[in-house]
Amino acid sequence: MKSKGAQERKRTFLLISIPVIALFFCFNTLPLIKGFIYSFTNFKGYGSYEWVGLRNYIDLFQDARVGKSYLFTFKYAIVGTILTNIISLVLALGLNSKIRCKSALRGIYFIPNVLGGLVIGYIFSFIFTYVLPTVAQNLGIEALSSSMLSSTGKAWIAIVIVGCWQAIAMNTIIYISGLQTVPEDVYEAGSLDGVTGWKKFRYLTMPLIIPFFSTNMVLSMKNFLMVFDQIMALTKGGPSQSTESISYLIYNNGMSGGQFGFQSANAFLFFVVIVAVSVFQMTVTNKKEEQL
Amino acid sequence: MSQVRDKERYNWPITILLFIGCLTIFFPLYMAVVIAFKQPSEMTNDIAGALSLPAQWSLSNFQEAMRVTDFWNSLGNSLLITVSTVVLAVVIHGIAGYAIGRSMKNSKFYSFAFLYIVSGMFVPFAILMMPLVKQTAQMGIANHFGVIVLYTVFYMPLNLMLYKGYLANIPIALEEAARVDGASTWRTYWSILFPIMKPMHATVAVLTAMSTWNDVMTPLVIMSGTGKNTLPLAQLNFQTQFGTNYNLAFASYLLALIPILLFYIICQKQILNGVVNGAVK
Amino acid sequence: MKTHVKAAGLLIAAMTAVTALLGGCGANESADGKTVVEIVQYKPEAVKAFEALEEKFNATHDDIELKIDSPNDAMTILKTRFIREDYPDIIGIGGDINYSNFLDSDMLMDISDYAGLADIKESYLRNAKELEFVPMDGTYAVPYMANAAGVLYNKDIFDEHGWTIPTTLDEFYALCEDIQAAGIQPLYFGFKDTWTCLAPWNAICIDLAPSDICAQVNAGTAKFADAYRPVAEVTKSLLQYAQPDPYAYSYNDACTAFARGESAMYVIGSYAVPQIKSVNPDMNIDSFVFPASNDADANILNSGNDLQWSVMAGKEDKKEAIYEVLDFLYEDENIQTYLDDQSAVPCKTGDFELPSMLDGMKSYIENDKMADYQDHHYPSEMAVDAMIQTFLMDDSDNDLDTFLEKFDTEWVRYNRDLIAKVQKFYEENPDKLTEGGNE
Repeated sequence: MKSKGAQERKRTFLLISIPVIALFFCFNTLPLIKGFIYSFTNFKGYGSYEWVGLRNYIDLFQDARVGKSYLFTFKYAIVGTILTNIISLVLALGLNSKIRCKSALRGIYFIPNVLGGLVIGYIFSFIFTYVLPTVAQNLGIEALSSSMLSSTGKAWIAIVIVGCWQAIAMNTIIYISGLQTVPEDVYEAGSLDGVTGWKKFRYLTMPLIIPFFSTNMVLSMKNFLMVFDQIMALTKGGPSQSTESISYLIYNNGMSGGQFGFQSANAFLFFVVIVAVSVFQMTVTNKKEEQL
Repeated sequence: MSQVRDKERYNWPITILLFIGCLTIFFPLYMAVVIAFKQPSEMTNDIAGALSLPAQWSLSNFQEAMRVTDFWNSLGNSLLITVSTVVLAVVIHGIAGYAIGRSMKNSKFYSFAFLYIVSGMFVPFAILMMPLVKQTAQMGIANHFGVIVLYTVFYMPLNLMLYKGYLANIPIALEEAARVDGASTWRTYWSILFPIMKPMHATVAVLTAMSTWNDVMTPLVIMSGTGKNTLPLAQLNFQTQFGTNYNLAFASYLLALIPILLFYIICQKQILNGVVNGAVK
Repeated sequence: MKTHVKAAGLLIAAMTAVTALLGGCGANESADGKTVVEIVQYKPEAVKAFEALEEKFNATHDDIELKIDSPNDAMTILKTRFIREDYPDIIGIGGDINYSNFLDSDMLMDISDYAGLADIKESYLRNAKELEFVPMDGTYAVPYMANAAGVLYNKDIFDEHGWTIPTTLDEFYALCEDIQAAGIQPLYFGFKDTWTCLAPWNAICIDLAPSDICAQVNAGTAKFADAYRPVAEVTKSLLQYAQPDPYAYSYNDACTAFARGESAMYVIGSYAVPQIKSVNPDMNIDSFVFPASNDADANILNSGNDLQWSVMAGKEDKKEAIYEVLDFLYEDENIQTYLDDQSAVPCKTGDFELPSMLDGMKSYIENDKMADYQDHHYPSEMAVDAMIQTFLMDDSDNDLDTFLEKFDTEWVRYNRDLIAKVQKFYEENPDKLTEGGNE
């Protein structure tokens, strides 16, 4: 009886999984393979093209602009991921505690995610250009008295601010849904033992929401690494190419420009890099998960 | 009883802090609303002009924005795509998350399948774009339907991960009890697990809907030439290299915001109900 | 158990059915005997003019149905359509590097037998010809509209102070000093949008550098480091008359500032006028040619093909209908429809009413004293605009050398395949070298 049930279960799972995997293969892996093939050509995106062997990959490692874009993207992603996760975890704890107008507040804090990245970028671009410098001038803050977006040293910070402003919403939601899986009686038991504050968070909440923490770290790192909309709306890679993210470079030179083959190589390398980073992150958090 | 106790324990400092924090959300939105109501001639390059309220609260920008974007048609297309994608995501990704998530512990095949699909999340869209354009055209789905299929595939990695993570917290005992009662796996899923996963459905629905609703790239490259627009596509009409009508653009952004905001408010309640706690207990 | 299999199967079957159903209703034209001619043109700001023309054409023609599409981000749309092998009949694009690339990929049809070519001004045909990577036999583009770039100025401010139009570089500097002395901002730039860095650059280039410099470099007979040195110097000298931190402001901001009288002049093209007028509809704008040289006669108007028509290859069977459409577009009153909507310069010879803000450039247009924008030859992925921005922001002593050196090395890097192709062509056809780049 048991083996028959298990068999039935297996078969059903297989019947569900196979078509899903097939669908995924067809619209994700297949085009990826085709893109990979283009990375060995000098294809412009249309017309005729020639095979160039590994030239694109060799060029990748010699191209200063590509190197710069990797540096910028990683700097941006690491700072953004850390900030976003700290702020959204704090926010989620706040929004999950006993507060007035809980649902209204949650609704409000989620709004940034409802707006598209481009729209947010345009609004902030306006603020960074006009509002912030004027305010800083009135307050006598020298460092902010000119637009952050026009300074090669500060433009990336502006992009981090906008990126976080938007990303926090989604991460907070995931943390909140994580916090809700923490059963109330865990806290009740804890409070009987006199566990409060930081200790309560560290020893009661944290272990239970670790899977959500790991999800959030991986997701926000990946999203920050793929930053595109904010760059498009805020700086278009400027000033003096200091904020060209990898995705921006791939799109801009691959689609708008005529470097489709070369940027396919870049995109493929980028894919490998992101997977490596994420696998690393998951291994680390999985270890943590086991320890706790 | 617990309700009475809860009321006494409102945490006011946190409430106040959170309300103050809302300003960071509202200030940019205030800017958007103000710009949406102003006329181009009211746009100045100084702070007083930027922050001031419009001279008159006229809806003319909104009317013009609706005309330029062919609002109702674009809205219809956006709705069709978003609703279909969300339904498919909840149905397909949910059950796939169940099948794969539950089998991973004992099967290398499913562990691999999970990693395989999740790794798809990291594929930059730019590399897929051109091959997909060709592929959808060859398959005859360079239209709404193609876009929906693509979204179902694009959001699969994230949603699968979310469902799998959520299922890990749901004890397998529930299913085993059902199996002892003679229910099939298929039926167990729909009658027991699907309802239990409601909060995750809400999360998945909200996230999928947001990304779908705001996405420009996919419909731009897949649906171009069909003469059909989604709202973000129609909004591109305001943006040209040689001129931008921010006032009209912001008016139309606000218009496009309303349906998705309503949707979020509805779904949010589902998350809040905290169905999980009951089920786990 | 079988029911579950059935259920799963049903789901898949349903999906397949929906695929087939929706896939089936593609966008096929209903054939009512008319020849459909489809145009995709890349200037969405001109959509109103083209909608009017489309309507007029269809009302007067029984056998041809004209469809004009003016999408946003037309280049992406065109490229995706090319991937799908779904070619429109006529494309209306700018005379820039995209045209060169499409032509180089054998995507365009030779239209040298189109009769209307005889009415097109020589310099615009030359612009199109110079865009060919290697000299080709035949004609592949009919220029329709041109734009002109130089300096827009606020006529009211100028009249008030009695300032006159400069004809040499020294006069221009002197004028800027006068304006500054009067407490007015001479220039306003929107360098946050890097492409606007090309506006002064282009205007200065055509006065100070050979117009075929890119072709010369590709053929290996010149270097940018020499040709662009004075150009870069003059471009940078403009910064002293610009508002502080011009990299903080976008094109839009600069248009707004100029429209509100915050600056007396604005170095940009005629295409900015509609945007400026949207802020200040009553503004009195005029223009003059940027005097980058101290020899007044050496100054040339910067005017490029803003919109030109090309017919896609493989449309020979529709040629008559396509030419009829082109004839229609070139009818004088239809050109005037476009001119009234957009501030442009027609490429057709004839007596057209030019927009008043081009008054200062009129004599150059009439005397055909014009040359194309140099950036029409730059590959977009090389991002020359960002390089110029970097150069302008660079405060170090060797900024000029850094920039020029980078220009030459980057040019080789981004044009590697092209240079190889060009040099191979001239090796095989040494006789063409003289006529090739130099017209």
